[in-house]
Amino acid sequence: MSDALKQSLDLSMFWEYRAILLQGLIFNALVFLCAASVALSVGLGAALLRINRFWPMRWIGTLHVEVFRNAPDYIMLVWVHFVLPLLIGMVIRRRVEFHPFVSAVIALGFVYSGYFAEAFRAGIQAIPQGNLDAGRAFGMSERLILWRITLPQVVRRMLPEALNLFISMFKATTIVSLIAVPDLMYNVSMVIQQEMRPLPLYTGAAITYFLIILLLSSGVRVFSERWRRKILA
Amino acid sequence: MNDVPRIRIADIHKSFGPLEVLRGVSFDVHRGSVVSVVGASGSGKSTLLRCVNHLEPPDSGEIFIEGESLGSRVDERGQRRPRSLAEINAMRRELGVVFQQFNLWPHMTVLGNVIEAPIRVRKMPRKDAIAYGEECLRRVKMIDKANEYPARLSGGQQQRAAIARALAMRPKAMLFDEATSSLDPELTDEVLGVMRELAADGTTMIVVTHEMGFAREVSDRVIFLHQGVIEEEGAPADIFDAPKSERLRQFLSKYRK
Repeated sequence: MSDALKQSLDLSMFWEYRAILLQGLIFNALVFLCAASVALSVGLGAALLRINRFWPMRWIGTLHVEVFRNAPDYIMLVWVHFVLPLLIGMVIRRRVEFHPFVSAVIALGFVYSGYFAEAFRAGIQAIPQGNLDAGRAFGMSERLILWRITLPQVVRRMLPEALNLFISMFKATTIVSLIAVPDLMYNVSMVIQQEMRPLPLYTGAAITYFLIILLLSSGVRVFSERWRRKILA
Repeated sequence: MNDVPRIRIADIHKSFGPLEVLRGVSFDVHRGSVVSVVGASGSGKSTLLRCVNHLEPPDSGEIFIEGESLGSRVDERGQRRPRSLAEINAMRRELGVVFQQFNLWPHMTVLGNVIEAPIRVRKMPRKDAIAYGEECLRRVKMIDKANEYPARLSGGQQQRAAIARALAMRPKAMLFDEATSSLDPELTDEVLGVMRELAADGTTMIVVTHEMGFAREVSDRVIFLHQGVIEEEGAPADIFDAPKSERLRQFLSKYRK
């Protein structure tokens, strides 16, 4: 085996720095959770606009989806962190700066809201009209129908796709080190600068991500399938 | 005051684009009576029923529930104005609807389906809603399936659950929209049996149906709809044994084969 390969498979250094690396991983998890909340709520809002009766609303919803779905997350992150504060500052005539964590949550949350909007829209449109008729016939308001009849079914239907989106989203949190959010990758590069041995550290990070995503996603898949099967004949 | 009909349907017109589906339909349904609406496919029967609770707002004409118009009200200044959606919702809950496709909510158990509207719309305490919901399920002989999800039930069982769901709102009248049309023949009887019992208990009902035997046996009045107007109406014996119009005779002959 070549030296380089041997070196990259030797994870003792990764283990040695486990405390600081774990700290970074917690940041990944935090960014992920916050960005996922933003993506879900903004995505639902955009989906409701996309199916609105009034065309200007539909147009705004479509614009939202197209802009954020087609923007690379890497560029969006840089743009939100460096350009957006300037624009806001210009409007309110004051110096504005975003905390890197905030920029990361906004950028990832909005990019993925475009994808979630489409998943929500498809799910909502797949609900049989009769389900809604029944709600209306019993005097339920449109809001009640959305929360009690439509969304609970949409969530079950879109789970497989949502799971894929969450996985991509978690992987995308690796780029937040770019704007100095102290996540796993950021801490890895700090250690690399000190130790000058990038290969084992990158390998360790890769294995860590792989294991976490594999474990969480298979857990969620098992749970969600059992839940879904109850309602889908 | 008892001569105020439970439901009065007054000169209902409804078009979909250029197609005029209902061209002035009027009749009354009195308390405790069963009115069956029969007619060929496309005669406007289902649209009529959807107009009765404003799932399809009629283009003109009015629906009255115990003398009160469903679509409009008189305001403080004595002027008639259209009701808001919230007001229509409040009136709609007085009518229990049973759909051809059952339309149970698949993510709720049978009991969940039955108690949903009483709790959320009627604001009934959960405990009371469950107690009354179970009573309704017992009436349609579905109490042993209370905790099943609709996907695991036969069509007949789903439809009986849907009837219990409508009953649980304690409606002033029940509307049946071809309640047995999407059932296999061997499942039709269990649903018709439940409907027969409801009628015997004095439930006010409008029944859109293709089951001529049922209409004849259970109804107080039968209405034959043809191309959006009432072609003939009367007591079941008159309609089925002594039809006056040629169209009704033709229609009935198809069921006598």
